[in-house]
Amino acid sequence: MIEIGRVVVKIAGRDAGCKAIIIDILDDKYVLLDGETRRRKCNILHIEPLNQKIDIKKNASHEEVSNALKELGIVALQTKPKPKTPKPAKKRKTPEQLRVQKEEKRKLRDLFKFKKKEEKVEEKKESTLEEKAGLAEEKKGEEVEIKTKQEKPKTEKKETKKVSAKKTEKKKS
Amino acid sequence: MPAPRLRSRSLRKIFRKVPGGRTNVHFKKRKPESAVCGSCGDVLKGTPREFPFRMRGMAKTKKRPERPYGGVLCSRCMRQEIIKKVRQ
Repeated sequence: MIEIGRVVVKIAGRDAGCKAIIIDILDDKYVLLDGETRRRKCNILHIEPLNQKIDIKKNASHEEVSNALKELGIVALQTKPKPKTPKPAKKRKTPEQLRVQKEEKRKLRDLFKFKKKEEKVEEKKESTLEEKAGLAEEKKGEEVEIKTKQEKPKTEKKETKKVSAKKTEKKKS
Repeated sequence: MPAPRLRSRSLRKIFRKVPGGRTNVHFKKRKPESAVCGSCGDVLKGTPREFPFRMRGMAKTKKRPERPYGGVLCSRCMRQEIIKKVRQ
């Protein structure tokens, strides 16, 4: 039953239920099919032969098979080959274009980032200087006061010591 | 003792080991029954057994085999059916 030109039905897989013709016998197990199914090899166990037969060459092309199947009223599967479109080649930018691009980027940076930084720096500087100046003056004043405060008791103590020393001398004498 | 509504077998028991070392019992909804062949009643291959909400998110090609009667008949019954039709 399995011979070149025999019409068969596929039983298994996604092409199951589709009619095809045996084009070639590859092995004691496998045959080459074409027709309503995709053109591919197939296990003998996965086909059911019918009692129709077509005269066809071994390894016939898909066109021949489709023409032969038209007589039986079977429309062969037509896969549209993808149109070959050339890949879009990358265009390099000219140095002038690159310059323009850089300038635009710089402008954007000026708009958003650079201004903020400047403002912040200026504010900080002003505030810090004033505060520093004020603090420095205050600190100086405080230090002076502290020094005077510290000096005064020391002198008193020294005097007291001196006085006490004098008293002891007097007592000794 | 679990709550009365959990004592029936309608919910699935899952024994979870907790970090403390004990085993806790969690109650979960049972999965729907797996798909079955329309003629012989065998469990169908290539059909996931999942909750409807998960099935909704899946692609159509992941829910059944891509062949005639896929997801309805098993492959054996499908073959018999096609052969019967062809031979008539």
